[in-house]
Amino acid sequence: MTLESAVDITFTPKNGAEKTARQILEFTRIYLAFGDDAPIERELACLCAQYPAVLLPPQPEDRFVGRVLHAPVGFSPQMGSGFGYYLKEEEFVALLREPELSDELRSRLTVLLDFWRENHTAAKTRRAYSGELAKLLPSDNWNFESGIAFPLYRMAGSTLDYAKLIRLGIGGLRRELEEHMQRKPAGAALYRALVGSIDLLAEVCLWYAEKAQQSDLPADVRAELVRCLLHISEKPPETLHQGLQLCWLYALLSGNANYGRFDRTFVELYAADKAAGLSEESVVALLSSLWRLMAERENGVWMFDSRVIIGGKGRANEAVADRLALLCIEATRRTRLVMPQLSLRFYKGQNPLLYQRALDCISSNNPYPILYNDDVNIPAVAAAFDVSEDEATNYVPFGCGEYVLEHKSFGTPSGVINLLQALLVTLNHGIDPTRRIPMGIPADELPIIDSFESLWDAYRRQVERHVEVLAEQEALEYRIAGQTAPFLYLTLLMDDCLERGKAVFDGGLRYLGGTLETYGNSNTADSLTAIRKLVFQEKRFSLAQLRQMLDANFVGFGRERRLLVQAPKYGNDLDEADEMLVSVDRHVFTVTRNQAQRVGLDSYLVVVINNNANTVMGRYTAASPDGRLAFTPMNNGNAPSSGADTDGITAFLNSIVKPPVSLHAGAVQNIKLSRELFTRNRREVDQLLEVYWEMGGAQAMLNVVSRNELEEALVHPEKYANLIVRVGGYSARFIDLAPDIQQEILARTLY
Amino acid sequence: MSTRGIVFDIQRFSLHDGPGIRTTVFLKGCPLHCTWCSNPESQSPSPQLAFAEHKCSHCLACVGECPHGAHITVRGKHLWDVDRCKGCFACIEACPNGALRRIGKELSVEQVMDVVKRDFLYYEKSGGGMTLSGGEPLMQAEFAEALLRSAHRLGISTAVETAGVLLDPLEQTADAVDLFLLDYKASEEMQHRNHVGTSLFQVLEGLERLATIGARVRLRCPIIPGINDNLEHFCRIAELCREYACIEAVDVLPYHDYGRSKAKEIGKPWLLAQTSVDEETAARWIARLAALGCRNVGLG
Repeated sequence: MTLESAVDITFTPKNGAEKTARQILEFTRIYLAFGDDAPIERELACLCAQYPAVLLPPQPEDRFVGRVLHAPVGFSPQMGSGFGYYLKEEEFVALLREPELSDELRSRLTVLLDFWRENHTAAKTRRAYSGELAKLLPSDNWNFESGIAFPLYRMAGSTLDYAKLIRLGIGGLRRELEEHMQRKPAGAALYRALVGSIDLLAEVCLWYAEKAQQSDLPADVRAELVRCLLHISEKPPETLHQGLQLCWLYALLSGNANYGRFDRTFVELYAADKAAGLSEESVVALLSSLWRLMAERENGVWMFDSRVIIGGKGRANEAVADRLALLCIEATRRTRLVMPQLSLRFYKGQNPLLYQRALDCISSNNPYPILYNDDVNIPAVAAAFDVSEDEATNYVPFGCGEYVLEHKSFGTPSGVINLLQALLVTLNHGIDPTRRIPMGIPADELPIIDSFESLWDAYRRQVERHVEVLAEQEALEYRIAGQTAPFLYLTLLMDDCLERGKAVFDGGLRYLGGTLETYGNSNTADSLTAIRKLVFQEKRFSLAQLRQMLDANFVGFGRERRLLVQAPKYGNDLDEADEMLVSVDRHVFTVTRNQAQRVGLDSYLVVVINNNANTVMGRYTAASPDGRLAFTPMNNGNAPSSGADTDGITAFLNSIVKPPVSLHAGAVQNIKLSRELFTRNRREVDQLLEVYWEMGGAQAMLNVVSRNELEEALVHPEKYANLIVRVGGYSARFIDLAPDIQQEILARTLY
Repeated sequence: MSTRGIVFDIQRFSLHDGPGIRTTVFLKGCPLHCTWCSNPESQSPSPQLAFAEHKCSHCLACVGECPHGAHITVRGKHLWDVDRCKGCFACIEACPNGALRRIGKELSVEQVMDVVKRDFLYYEKSGGGMTLSGGEPLMQAEFAEALLRSAHRLGISTAVETAGVLLDPLEQTADAVDLFLLDYKASEEMQHRNHVGTSLFQVLEGLERLATIGARVRLRCPIIPGINDNLEHFCRIAELCREYACIEAVDVLPYHDYGRSKAKEIGKPWLLAQTSVDEETAARWIARLAALGCRNVGLG
């Protein structure tokens, strides 16, 4: 069967599976109708095929419309296989197994699956790798294979100018585009498509107005929603409800899942509502409903994103914005959901109530808000990104904690590097100790390791070579993105694109930056400290003997392992260990930062973030010289290795402020505090944190739990359905986590 | 040569040994032998070996290491004969399970202060500082005094947790101590002798001297069910508060049996059968002491 005959859509779907099948066929048919030489028109046509087809009607408790479940094939900045034209392969395969599907449709879909496996944008990116890239990035399977470096395929972490959307409304945006079109005929094709995307958004508003009308929502909610949708389909929103509704629909259509500086964006609408007498209780109800939609978006798939930022410097009408921020905290306290990832920016001089309420919320079994110290972050971001402090004022953390400048910059993490694996491969002369295959730089290209200095040198070269190819990969990925599609909805609300008449990844955006996720930083540093002390200084055993112990996963070497475990560890305020971590960090931060210009990016920075990759990559990482057993978790974010911080929380805090903050784009700090401490000694906890911030603490994700609670939850999960824990750069219900991730959380020091 | 002493722990972020956020330095050695001692490993002035039996895998690696025959094999199982142990610690590294550890390390004043001063900002923020505890910290009088004076030179506030029975060091260090945490354990002479191991009058003399010097004192009262949880003792505590204006507060230390497992690890018998006191009981004691007129009674 040819592809062309497979995409015939002249049939009426008889059930859900056939409906999805028809969506895929339709989408593919449209995609095929345009060649690679018409990426702008192709995207618009594909978006029109996708929306409102994948949108879902409101549910009874909703105060807003806007639910979505993307099809197995579609277009998005971040979905399934990657970005652009994506494939959700598992869902596609599941669809093929649907008994409801006719055999004829099944065989047609099979042809399409083969097509999309080859043609989704990430696959095209991989095919574009040069020899060197393919050699050092041989696999994409970071989550189930050992390796030093892996690419990631996504255009993650867009932040959009929602304030502009609110100010202009759909009609105003359309007019602005028309003006641009007249001034810059060269960009006409793009502007035309952008107008088309705006028209589609308006159409979706009207489509939802109809759905709302037909829904069994309560009569008053229904009436308000219909009014709201008709209004925003053309005019700028005038109430908070209208503003939130418009931005929410925009977020769904654009694939944007980090909602930016929320109180700053919505302050004017809130002020107007407030003046008109809208009660705070009503606002909390609205926000709570929106929070639920965020949490349930795409069946909860956005738990690594969904940032809502409140507080911080650079907010107009600050007193009113503060009120709105407090209501956001209240909505989070009440809903107790894993999303949105509410994040509070604060600075000396900000209304202290925000910070206090944040801590109160955290103490009520809630990992939010995440705390960000502007006094440290703004100068750090200015230095790291090489922008003015004024621009840095609009830094926002997205995803698991990567910083970008709100709607001015992009910084998708498109690579991961496992520093510990880099060290282990180096120690093993270019052999991966997990799979016993050659990996990384061949040993004959590395210095002979006969001293600590030569080991450090070889490790650095191993890391540097991988960082270089990862930077090239990042630039390549943006290039492919730019060639593939204009990403219309991102282009429309990101800075400079309209003025330049260029698409976001095709020269439009002000700052195109990239980020690199590093893992195992602390284990690597602790391993190096242990090697320096025991092998080279005290000569307790040789490197060859150390390799033997690691190969044996310390079986039969319990005594030696104890020596390794007892060697100084990062996180105890011990200079010997902490300085090593600083060296490891500074090295990879600097090498990474130095790549930007070479590969043509505005910035390329490390992020020491963490989803659960420390645990997942740990599963494929052999035993390490810090005494860590094979295939167990590595350290989390900027934290010490699990349980290595034994000298108390002040020592821990003193240590974690040592790594440099001005050379990267975000580092996360999980701090697990016991409920007993937090409730009985709240004053001292407040003072402790104050010192942390004053010492240069940039960020903290506080999780207040009791050990007993976590242990009980393992035995009686049914009783702890609401126990939310901070995993890394995201939160989850403890009982939903994989067993090794649960154990990793348990093993973290509880202060 | 700087003064050195035997320290068995340095605990940072300590919240229960004086005001604010503190670092507590535990000095080894005590002239008393309280039956309820929560740190039985603190009593001997010398470093000693502790053996955590539950961590032992009976691999017998330690047996060959001991030059004194303190680690022996009985029917294939490892046994530690505490009486033969000379505290040479040759065995510790041999144990792959961390079942053997050394309690007490000789440190210089600088070494201790290097740790203590690292939390200066926390002390400053919270009104905390350094606390010397033990054991009886004044048993290593010279070392304790050097630590206290060094702390003061660094602008770090100091507290000493003491039984108050070593009168000369008490007076000698007093000007370098911002707060004394003075133990008051029993009000009846025979009971005091039996359970604490010294005369009550010595303690009262200590209090008297502190009062004369004009020291600030918090009374620390371990309350042990069946021993001193009685009205007479409580009344006597209240009386002391009335007699001595220098007593700023009374900390109730409800009995807990954490000492039991530590005693076992150093091969010491544990004579009390009581179990740890629950929160409600402790709250009741606090309320009663307050009703009797004690100032600022709280949980220590």
